[in-house]
Amino acid sequence: MTNHTEKEKKEPDLQIKLGRLILQNPVLLASGTCGYGKELEDLIDLKKIGAIVVKGISLEPRKGNPPPRIHETPCGLLNAIGLENVGLEAFKSQKLPWLREHKIKTIVNILGNSVTEYQKMAEGLSGLEGVDAIEVNISCPNVKEGGVAFGTDPRAANEVTRAVKKACDLPVIVKLSPNVTDICEIARAVEDAGADGVSLINTILGMAIDIERRRPVLGNVFGGLSGPAIRPVAVRMVWQVARTVRIPVIGIGGISNFRDALEFLMAGASAVQVGTATLVDPGAPEEILTGIVDFMVRNNYSSIGELKIGD
Amino acid sequence: MENKRINKQAKIVGNVEIRPGIFVMTILCPEISTSSSAGQFCMIRPGNIQGLDPLLRRPLSIHFTDQEKGHVQFLYRVVGRGTRALSRQLEGEFVEVLGPLGRGFQVEEDEIPILVGGGLGVAPLLFLARQLMGRRAIAILGAITKSQLLRLEPFRETGLEILVSTEDGSFGNQGLVTEVLDRLVSRLEDEAKANVAIFSCGPYPMLRAVYHLCSAHGVRCEVSLETTMACGSGLCLGCAVKAKDGGYLHVCKDGPCFRAEELAWE
Repeated sequence: MTNHTEKEKKEPDLQIKLGRLILQNPVLLASGTCGYGKELEDLIDLKKIGAIVVKGISLEPRKGNPPPRIHETPCGLLNAIGLENVGLEAFKSQKLPWLREHKIKTIVNILGNSVTEYQKMAEGLSGLEGVDAIEVNISCPNVKEGGVAFGTDPRAANEVTRAVKKACDLPVIVKLSPNVTDICEIARAVEDAGADGVSLINTILGMAIDIERRRPVLGNVFGGLSGPAIRPVAVRMVWQVARTVRIPVIGIGGISNFRDALEFLMAGASAVQVGTATLVDPGAPEEILTGIVDFMVRNNYSSIGELKIGD
Repeated sequence: MENKRINKQAKIVGNVEIRPGIFVMTILCPEISTSSSAGQFCMIRPGNIQGLDPLLRRPLSIHFTDQEKGHVQFLYRVVGRGTRALSRQLEGEFVEVLGPLGRGFQVEEDEIPILVGGGLGVAPLLFLARQLMGRRAIAILGAITKSQLLRLEPFRETGLEILVSTEDGSFGNQGLVTEVLDRLVSRLEDEAKANVAIFSCGPYPMLRAVYHLCSAHGVRCEVSLETTMACGSGLCLGCAVKAKDGGYLHVCKDGPCFRAEELAWE
């Protein structure tokens, strides 16, 4: 950048700590919008990104929901992919080696139908070289059983977090659902269970109707809403949760540019995840990172933590 | 990665309404014009909308490339917000473009290609016809009525044998493209049938009829499918279509050009 007018302005420290997990910068790629990394190899320099959160993995492969799976709404995207994924074993043998070879910080998003399944997933990932952390998905709105059931009940959220923590030696982040009356209650429950951080928000449950055919647009009837349309809801929830728990918060929800990302970092997030924006423009995450750095330089911030608005 | 994808802002050098609601947009993008092959597509969106609405880029088949000028052309119909926004873009303005994407048509060296296009389905087939210039190949082009026949002239310029049909008989043969195809293929000896291959794009019912016809005659068939997409690059898995084996295929990476027998036809 050429607009450094004052000589004393220097590069800010972008490093962030999520429990034991240290990341070079706070911009992460959100699960379900970046595949397993390799899909983006010619479009994003993944080494420059804080971390990639890979597509949610289940114990067994899942083939996903019947189409149509996506529908554009004003400033938003409704999706009901249904957690189509290759399953734990194929992830370990086919996807993880590439991420490891390329030294890409990798957070593995896991999901299950029962506490036992989550526990088995965590056991299966524990100690694997190339896995830097686990993100526990208790908030996917698009599958019939499991997933969201754990994200809407504080006791179940606590139980599943406890099981995952016990089963592995990795930092554990729990991804929270916004489809609850009080997200702080769930955040407290997973903090009590030993979570190293929380990420929020997952998509907001929504629906669209095709008025010509007089039926729901999505094959799954309901879907999860993402994109700029949900950002104010997400910023509000991050603000609330960051004032409720002591563990780090990762902000997610409609981040399309560096200004959006800064809203979350100021609301109290230690890092952000970029999701739908990557689908629209794979160049977005790197631009967001550059924009955050420029903003910090312009305004004399020396670390990410300084961005937080105090109480 | 077979060919490196390009993600950039490209200048519009033309955006012409050739029929009511049907446009040909030409952009300057030398990287895509030299690296793409027939049947591939791009994700495209106006470059000046600040990322919010319409949110997603739209998948458009590559219609034509001019490698010398670095041009890439798209033939599209205004069907919703995304294509309407594109249609309002002016020469000199920019579009965001990602491409080339997906699996294009795979033409074997020793086969005789028959291109079958209905309505706007001629979009990817002109690119294919141009790649086949100098080869023995046939293009069957059809529409409901004469005024809806698209791009006949550019097809004629390729030197391919062109057969035209309209459903109301206002131009060319009267009837469906599949009827023309059926007559053509039925005349062939079994040995000749093994040497032809069909490459088709058009409305789903037409493609299904083409597939059934090819399957009955034992003729190889590839179809180009259209779906809603969010990313076009294998990230979101939103463009799933049912596969023969009961699973799903993704139009953006397994297609948009499929071997017809891979698909579960409904």
